[in-house]
Amino acid sequence: MEWTMTLNEPGKVCLMQGNEAIVRGAVEAGINFAASYPGSPSSQILGMLGKIARERGFYAQWATNEVCALEACIGTSLANARSICIVKQNGLLCTADALHCGAQHGVKGGLVIVTSDDPSAHSSTNEFDSRFMAMSADLPMLEPTTMQEAKDMVPYAFELSEQYRQMVLLRLTTRVCHGRSNVTLGPLPEKPRALRKVDEWERLVCVSYRHTPMLETLDSLQEAFEACPYNHYSGPGQPKKLIVAGGTGRLYAEEALRRLGETDKVGLLSLASLWPLPEKLIVRYLQHAEDVLILEEVDPFLERNLQAIAGKNRFHIRFAGRGDGALPRIGELTPELVLAAVSSLVGKSLPKRAAAPREPLLERELNFCAGCPHRATFHLLRRALRHEKNPGVVIGDIGCYIMSSQEAGHYAYQACNCMGSGINLAEGLGQLTAYGLEQKVVTMCGDSTFYHSILPGLINARYHDSNMLLMVLDNSATAMTGFQPHPGTGITAMGDSVAPMEIRPICEAMGCKVAEADPFELEKTEALMTELLQEPGLKVLILRQPCATLKSKQQRTKPKVWVDQDKCLGDGCGCDKFCSRVWGCPGNSWDFTKNKAVIDPVSCVGCGVCAKLCPAGAIMVEGGEKA
Amino acid sequence: MLSSYALDSQVIQKELCTGCGACQGLCPYWGSSRGRTICYYDCERSDGRCQHFCPRMPTDLAALQKKAFPDETVLPELGPYRALYLARAADPEIRGGAQHGGAVSALVELALREGLIDGALLTRAKDTLDPAGVMVTDPDEVRRCSGSSFQIPPTLAVLNEALREDRLRRIGVVGTPCKTLAVCKMRYNPLPDNDNHAGNIRLVIGLFCGWGLDWDGLEALTKRSAPSGAGHVDIPPSKYHSIEFAPRGGGETVSVDLDEVLPLVRPACRACADMTAEFADLSVGGARSADGWETDKKWNQIIVRSKTGEELVALARSRGILEFKDVPDTALDKLKKASLGKKRTAVRTLRERCGGLGYLAPNEALLPLD
Repeated sequence: MEWTMTLNEPGKVCLMQGNEAIVRGAVEAGINFAASYPGSPSSQILGMLGKIARERGFYAQWATNEVCALEACIGTSLANARSICIVKQNGLLCTADALHCGAQHGVKGGLVIVTSDDPSAHSSTNEFDSRFMAMSADLPMLEPTTMQEAKDMVPYAFELSEQYRQMVLLRLTTRVCHGRSNVTLGPLPEKPRALRKVDEWERLVCVSYRHTPMLETLDSLQEAFEACPYNHYSGPGQPKKLIVAGGTGRLYAEEALRRLGETDKVGLLSLASLWPLPEKLIVRYLQHAEDVLILEEVDPFLERNLQAIAGKNRFHIRFAGRGDGALPRIGELTPELVLAAVSSLVGKSLPKRAAAPREPLLERELNFCAGCPHRATFHLLRRALRHEKNPGVVIGDIGCYIMSSQEAGHYAYQACNCMGSGINLAEGLGQLTAYGLEQKVVTMCGDSTFYHSILPGLINARYHDSNMLLMVLDNSATAMTGFQPHPGTGITAMGDSVAPMEIRPICEAMGCKVAEADPFELEKTEALMTELLQEPGLKVLILRQPCATLKSKQQRTKPKVWVDQDKCLGDGCGCDKFCSRVWGCPGNSWDFTKNKAVIDPVSCVGCGVCAKLCPAGAIMVEGGEKA
Repeated sequence: MLSSYALDSQVIQKELCTGCGACQGLCPYWGSSRGRTICYYDCERSDGRCQHFCPRMPTDLAALQKKAFPDETVLPELGPYRALYLARAADPEIRGGAQHGGAVSALVELALREGLIDGALLTRAKDTLDPAGVMVTDPDEVRRCSGSSFQIPPTLAVLNEALREDRLRRIGVVGTPCKTLAVCKMRYNPLPDNDNHAGNIRLVIGLFCGWGLDWDGLEALTKRSAPSGAGHVDIPPSKYHSIEFAPRGGGETVSVDLDEVLPLVRPACRACADMTAEFADLSVGGARSADGWETDKKWNQIIVRSKTGEELVALARSRGILEFKDVPDTALDKLKKASLGKKRTAVRTLRERCGGLGYLAPNEALLPLD
């Protein structure tokens, strides 16, 4: 798909994913600089930018974290560069301080922050509505509905950014990121924008007296948004019933009105300029309305703001939306939910159609992949902690290993906050072990998380010698979001090979006691874990074993793993399906005809760990490159 | 009920687990750490060898006894009984490292040398600490396992592993009363669809036992009392009310008030009604003489309970492996009295802890209790 990103054929129509449309928009805007930390649903954007960066003459970086990414963009703005920063909702929250300070000092070269929200938290720990960040930081925010808009709004946002010398937020949601539709290409600039030297008296400084000018900028933007070409209205001139929609809600509403035959009777105001809200435009359609339905993801942001506008103007309107029970308070909008809400607005509904019978899907918990080293790690942690007199306190963090909170990791941890928090939660608890807390404290992080946000916490824990164990689950990958490079991988977003930063010497330089082990060496590593738990003070255990998905991509032949069913104890005493029921690797399956274990040859990556665990020695591993 | 849940709720939570290891070495679910029995994961079977062998899970003890000792005279206070001897190892080197008279080491060495058994499950400790089960096949190794550690290591885990391997076909087991009961269940009450090769157990020598101690507590006490390590730990008769630590390699024995030790007694041992290992072929313990402790300190009392036991003692006598001396007339009564004392404590504990006597209680009809 990458060719559509750099194809110089204005007017050509291409099928594009929303994330691709953002990339194309950035290229059309002639960006100089792009930085991001991966996070679903917008992980693909910087990956694609990295691949075309050289060709298009800009720089792209997988930054160590979102703060690094945004602040680098602010820096480049000083040299008049057009910079794009891509984050997911949680990443945007990470940047909160930089964002608020940046809003106060503004920018020179255009700076667009693409932030992707994940309603229903399909690939997140939590939902968040990043529109509140725009409101909080007094920054302008736009939201596209279609892929075309997603592309077009990027250059538009850059123009606004430069005109008003302010950062512009572009909000996406999962369906916009991942949906596909036709996009008409625009022209590509011949080359990126020319940089300008940073003048001696130029200033981008956050100081309190910039507060008023910032608010005045916002006022000017509000005025500009009254004529924002991406705000749409359709329907009667003075609607009694009005739908106000942002993002996906607009398309769902159009469909619902069409199906109900109400397109001409109900007004539909689609807002792309989410902050500041074009109040005059809104008032124009609100003033005759009696019933207003708001369609938005996730929180009742428009709903509350429109209620405020209505109140200020003394309108008497019945509002319906997420805050008023017409729609669920959380989660994604769906065409069905919107249809029901619109039906209730117009007082008419479609005849019920019998749903086609469907095979029920099996309920299935999230699980580690076949051959995942984390499975072994959490098996060993479970065993090591069982040796303790008191149960241990385990603190999770953000990465694939978050699934250890479920059966896959034997319900490993008691607490998990945001990315990089594990070390700090554990640090606090570790200090309490000197004040009567008689439990071993363990936390974990992945290699990417280690660089992202563990380091300051580790310095804190080491300096104050917290009595705790940090397990760095080094699988040589930012696995959860799709194997983006991080400082330990020795590769950059633009494909350059660089010197990797090893975790061990970093920890040692801090003065941490560091041990290293392979989670697949079960007995040795369990003994080491048990031993480290006995030692007082801060310990770091680096558990190294590459991600199974990464390895299976690299290995040419995999070992053949099979079950000798004559030896297999099945569900008999001495085993009780240990491999498939407890170990739980997708490669370990069950032969219902023989009541014995069996290996699923498709899932199995040949790591052979189950063979070490089989109490009957019934699992055989033959040949191949060991995964 | 799931096996793991049954053991946890009926034994571990009720503080009845002796730590014998009968539930371990069978599967990936059970293990132990410093005397604590650990369930790593739940097993979903409703029956299993773990709960089947556990000496603290429901069992008809009288029926088990009848199966195992069909011809013996049963003394209500002491269990199956054929004879009582006062004996010691003839070899002074064995006696030197033994808890009392070294009779157990001498008998096990003999049984191995004579091929009566091809492996012996013994306990080996490091200077009386960190005891662990060992399967000894070399007779010369036996005496290295002499002496008591006053802890109950899960040695039956090692037995279970050996039985599963099915390599040794004539195994002798030495253990505390709880272990001899578990072994008796293995031999005479196997799980119907999995006998775990229990037929390979051929000889059981029980050790008299008052109680075992908490590992960490005893370790702390030992390190305090004998900083360079204890070579020998013993408990003199009750009137001394003390525990004695003899430092490794000689030096003055340190006597510690028993009040410091009693809080370290494993709660499960307070609920145990068996002092003399009533389910063994032979039960061996220290000897107490009316003439004072020192008189018989280095002698053993041996209760012979089965034909197998009788034959082994006879062989030891004929080979001059054991030396014997006359058993005083009062000895059997003293032993009965001591045994009853433990049974009374058990009854009291069981009433307190489990709200009744349950299946673990000794046969009340036979006992002049309270």
